[in-house]
Amino acid sequence: MKWQFSNDAPIYTQLIQQIKVGIVSGGFPPGERLPSVRDLATEAGVNPNTMQRALMELERDGLVYSQRTAGRFVTEDKAMIETAKRGLAERHIKTFLAAMTNLGFQREEIVSLLRQESGEEETAHVGSGM
Amino acid sequence: MSVLECKDLCKNYGHAPALDQVSLAVEPGHIVGLLGPNGSGKTTLIKLANGLLTPTSGEILVCGMRPGKETHACVSYLPERTAIPTWMSTAQLLDFYGDFYADFRRDAAEEMLAHLNIQPRQRIKQMSKGTREKVQLIMVMSRAAKLYLLDEPIGGVDPATRDYILSTIIGNYNPEAAVVISTHLISDVEKVLDEVIFINQGRVVLQSSVDQIREEKGMSVDELFREVFKC
Amino acid sequence: MLRKLMKHEFRATGRIMLPLFLILLVTAFGANLSTRGLMSTQYRILDVLGGLLITAFFVAIVGVCVMSFVLMVQRFYKNLLQDEGYVMMTLPVSVHQQVWSKLIVSSVWFILTVLAVILAACIMAFNVSFLGEFFQGLRGLFRELREIGAYYAINGTAIAVELIALTFLSLVAFCLQFYAALAVGHSFANHKMACSVAFFFGFQFVLQFLGGTGIFAFDALNLFDFLPSWQLNGMAAVHAVLIFCIVLVVLYSAIFYAITTFCLKKRLNLE
Repeated sequence: MKWQFSNDAPIYTQLIQQIKVGIVSGGFPPGERLPSVRDLATEAGVNPNTMQRALMELERDGLVYSQRTAGRFVTEDKAMIETAKRGLAERHIKTFLAAMTNLGFQREEIVSLLRQESGEEETAHVGSGM
Repeated sequence: MSVLECKDLCKNYGHAPALDQVSLAVEPGHIVGLLGPNGSGKTTLIKLANGLLTPTSGEILVCGMRPGKETHACVSYLPERTAIPTWMSTAQLLDFYGDFYADFRRDAAEEMLAHLNIQPRQRIKQMSKGTREKVQLIMVMSRAAKLYLLDEPIGGVDPATRDYILSTIIGNYNPEAAVVISTHLISDVEKVLDEVIFINQGRVVLQSSVDQIREEKGMSVDELFREVFKC
Repeated sequence: MLRKLMKHEFRATGRIMLPLFLILLVTAFGANLSTRGLMSTQYRILDVLGGLLITAFFVAIVGVCVMSFVLMVQRFYKNLLQDEGYVMMTLPVSVHQQVWSKLIVSSVWFILTVLAVILAACIMAFNVSFLGEFFQGLRGLFRELREIGAYYAINGTAIAVELIALTFLSLVAFCLQFYAALAVGHSFANHKMACSVAFFFGFQFVLQFLGGTGIFAFDALNLFDFLPSWQLNGMAAVHAVLIFCIVLVVLYSAIFYAITTFCLKKRLNLE
């Protein structure tokens, strides 16, 4: 997993987002045991206390659960992971829409632009495949 | 109980004040950045905590005691320059640390040395400057100390070494201990810190948690530092 | 902890002194060969070789003696007052233990150096007749001791012991004079080494000044006028002077020791 941090938000909220992405994208598959706090912190290059805080928040949300001795695990509840995926997607869309509105696009224009862009991508894909 | 505590601490070199009425406390379990421009008094503060200097006035307490041989047993200190005896071989250096520090984890040190492909018979004298610094850091971080005082651990090293040093610190410190990292390279250490202490011209300007700065000011510690210390 | 400090101090110094001792003994052996045969043949080349071997022997003697001294100063300076001081002065040991470990180890090397030089001299002079002569000499000495009587034998031995003790303590005092000068000099912010040298000669001057005025003052006291009945015979006077000297050396050693530890504790100023 690649960890990247921006300057404007607290580190722990960014950690929560990135671990969520890991879970949703299958980097951390359902039911799998997560590395220890210290290992995760070392890998991400962050303070172990901050990593601990992020994991606690995720635990409160139910995306991970801890077993006293065995460690922390990713939830096996697929529906919950799906909801998290939705949540992440909505956030991306909201920022995208806000940026586009800022550029002066109307809703319909945005949608048609999106269609055009994804259509072009498809043809480009086919083209390169030949 | 605070692991490191200063009360109205002053230190003068001749007539020039290097530290002026410094009061602060560092709690166990925290990684604290001691941040300030060059010559702001960071090294002086760390030397005072190690008993390498004597305060002009005020008080400094480490684990509740004045610096001395009792506090040396619970403090692991990384000086800003390489200070390990260069005539020793790595094995002799391990003997040395093992003899004097009851909290030295020799197996952990050996593992880290092996990871860097450093042979036990290799002499410190024959190593490059960068390797010597790494060996010194390994010795310091292999102790299960109560307080780690790291003076400029990432000053003057390349980015890859910087990552190695920071991950060695995070991966090895005793979680019940406090870590104080002095540096002026803030963007590099920011992510590993719980708390920061800004120090300028011998005075403490700010002590705050990193998350608090980011939440309340909406900027990184690095950006805040640039703002506070604007020339 | 003192023992551990000494262990590592011996490691640091032994790696230099032991090879030097070995070289000394080997050159002594070479010099022995040279005196026994090489010098008195008709071959010119063997003559030259013999001369070289003897020169090497004397160079080795001087080398060992100088090195034991240089090491004494260098270990204190480099290990406690230079970069290594950051490690050494933050060990969980007291300043007293630091100074004692340096002092004891240096003294041991001084004694070993003297013994090694004596041994080397014996090796150089050794031949078959030498051993016989040596034991004959010893026997003669004991015989003579018996003849001159217990009074001289005991006093002679005592004076020898006192002289050896005085020499040894003077060496220790000399070490401490170096330590004190270095410790004081390095408590300054600048020109540390220049200050150290200045303080060394400063101490020397003060000692000589006090010694000189001390003798005059002692003379001026006219002690014997106050104590007319205090009669000293020659032997007792020799003992009195030697013991007085020993006490004096111990006294100024103690002062140098106090200066050294004070500076290391309160005025340490590593670069």
